[in-house]
Amino acid sequence: MNRALAKQLNLVDFALSSLWRRRWKNGAVLLVFAGVIFLISSFHLVTTALTATTQRVLAPAPDIVIQKMTAGRQESIPLAYQEKLTGLFGIKKVVPRIWGYYFDEVREANFTVIGVDPEQMPLAEHLGQVLARGHFPAAPANAAAPEAEIAPAALGSLVSEALELEHGAFFSLFRPDLSLKTLQVSGLFRPESDLLTADLIALHIGEARDLFQVPAGLATDLCVYVYNPAEINNLARRIAEALPDSRVLTREQVARTYQAVFGWRSGFAAVCLLAALAAFAILAWDKASGLSPEERREVAVLKIVGWETPDILALRSWEALLVAGFAFLLGLLLAYIHVVYFAAGLFRPVMVGWSVIHPHFTLIPQLEAQDVLLLFSLTVLPYLAATVIPTWRCASVPAEDALSG
Amino acid sequence: MRPVALAALGLLILLACGALLLIQGRGLADRQQAALPVLEIAVAGLGLTDLCLATEARYTRHPAVSDPLAPFMSHPGSIEHFPTGSFWAPPPPYRRQP
Amino acid sequence: MAKTMLIELEQVNKTYNRGKANEVRALRDVDLRVAVGEMVCLKGPSGSGKSTLLAIIGCVFPPSSGRAAIAGRQLARLPDRFLTIHRRETIGFIFQRFNLLPALSVLDNITLPLLPLGVPPKECRRRARVLLERLGIVHRENFPAGRISGGELQRVAIARALINNQPLILADEPTAHLDSRLSHEFMAIMAELKAAGKTIIITSHDPLVAEHPAIDRVVEVHDGRVGDTAPEDHA
Repeated sequence: MNRALAKQLNLVDFALSSLWRRRWKNGAVLLVFAGVIFLISSFHLVTTALTATTQRVLAPAPDIVIQKMTAGRQESIPLAYQEKLTGLFGIKKVVPRIWGYYFDEVREANFTVIGVDPEQMPLAEHLGQVLARGHFPAAPANAAAPEAEIAPAALGSLVSEALELEHGAFFSLFRPDLSLKTLQVSGLFRPESDLLTADLIALHIGEARDLFQVPAGLATDLCVYVYNPAEINNLARRIAEALPDSRVLTREQVARTYQAVFGWRSGFAAVCLLAALAAFAILAWDKASGLSPEERREVAVLKIVGWETPDILALRSWEALLVAGFAFLLGLLLAYIHVVYFAAGLFRPVMVGWSVIHPHFTLIPQLEAQDVLLLFSLTVLPYLAATVIPTWRCASVPAEDALSG
Repeated sequence: MRPVALAALGLLILLACGALLLIQGRGLADRQQAALPVLEIAVAGLGLTDLCLATEARYTRHPAVSDPLAPFMSHPGSIEHFPTGSFWAPPPPYRRQP
Repeated sequence: MAKTMLIELEQVNKTYNRGKANEVRALRDVDLRVAVGEMVCLKGPSGSGKSTLLAIIGCVFPPSSGRAAIAGRQLARLPDRFLTIHRRETIGFIFQRFNLLPALSVLDNITLPLLPLGVPPKECRRRARVLLERLGIVHRENFPAGRISGGELQRVAIARALINNQPLILADEPTAHLDSRLSHEFMAIMAELKAAGKTIIITSHDPLVAEHPAIDRVVEVHDGRVGDTAPEDHA
């Protein structure tokens, strides 16, 4: 075997025996370091999984959403605004939506109520495929007086679970004037669509208008669809000019919002963790830079029996690399298991906020080489620097220290 | 067995576990991918702009289309202090203030 | 018949902190020659320069001036790295307190000098066992060095000094912390090694060492100077 390789293997053997001799201390260091890496990796994996999922899933979202703003707050947008947009070249269609939140006081849970006209929405003719049972709510027979009829509603899985409703069941919701609106479950969304529909009560737009008592002529927002996706930003600018009191959101901004939200939250947590990592590195530096008399003697003895300074440095580097390397692998593996199989349960509230009803979703992070490299640089390299650099000074203990004075 | 051989074995075991997990993850990802057409129809047909991740405050349920500002915020750059702004769940049982 | 010299020191000087206020001249114009197979005792009080002389002979550092040749190599011309290599090939050290690593086993202590040479573990163990058998402590090979007796520690230290088959053994006050029985045992082993062709230098002010029949010469060291510098030529 090549002499240099044989020498390094001998040094690794010695490093491992040295680590084993102080196994409780080194084991504790390894576990703590693995814990820090586990937390940092979990946050990174969750963030990348959430942003990747968002970008993939929300790709067919409306090209542009227009909201009316008054005194910096959103309010209902007049349907008449659609006419102001008819002159803009490139717009395929403008579709109003009525949607909002319904707070169930008994269960203290928020549901999202959404009302659309399926005849106007893209792919709405296929909405039946999103349902496990039943059909999507159609327009009320008497559009002029929807309050008189029982409204069909499609429910997400968490809603049907919370309200204990089966397909065909009847239930009531309060209008703002505390009158009751009766609905019947016409369909149940498939569990596979939980990521989007778990808390939804989907109605026809007329029924939603009645439920929220939104005056005729108003909608919550307008969805704009364009012919050429490359023109979205251009059109958004022109819409903003045409409707100066509106907020114009493009799909790209939606995606960036998610990056910002998850980035903000995970960044906050990462800063706390990086502080923990810094404390860990400082401790490691402190440990490595102070040589006890025994350690000084050990280095002097090694020197006098023929070990050179680079051999001693190599030994200490191997010790640090073994601890850091195993901690890194262990932390990363546990982080992956935590994110994929436990849905990042340890800190989901940090990433997405807490809720009374808990949507289920599986996050599958795409672990790429650059992610591993980034995590390695953030965690292992500072530790190696903190342990090896002070060792340089200590490795220069002179050999004659082993001789008597 | 030499210590370095034991360490190499440990390393191999960890890497093998990692590889297995990645393969399993790929399988799960493929299954998720298979459900993508259903999700596409939901997003397009309902005009959805946000995922259902947390169902409380509007800025977490619909961060994409929520108000960027709210009155009486403690800081111009911070998000309004609704319960979901917190990082931790409230202690059970949660009681609303009168 | 002229003997082959293993150690040749001519007008060797060693000064610490030259030019500074705390300048110390540890060795002054030292001439010393030691032939192959000789056993020499360096005797002198503390601070006499014994340890500095031993360090120069031991290739730990070169002299400040003068000519020092150990096993044919001029020390002054050797860079640090080659000094270390020359030391590990030529010299085995036995220390006052043996300087073994108590947490390591006897076997691991003995094979320490072989690790940076890339000697495979099996070969390391084989060489160590040969020495342990010769010294009669092979039954202790897996014991931690911190848990064996003083006499056994002594033999482990000797084994470590011989593991690379070095021709020159340097022992620095080896009997300072031993009782007379162990001191006698130590000198008996040194005599055997001398008979096997090793060259041995022992620093000691123990009369048991200086007056031992195996000692060829006693070299007095005082204030950095030495007396009785050359081996007798036997015609």
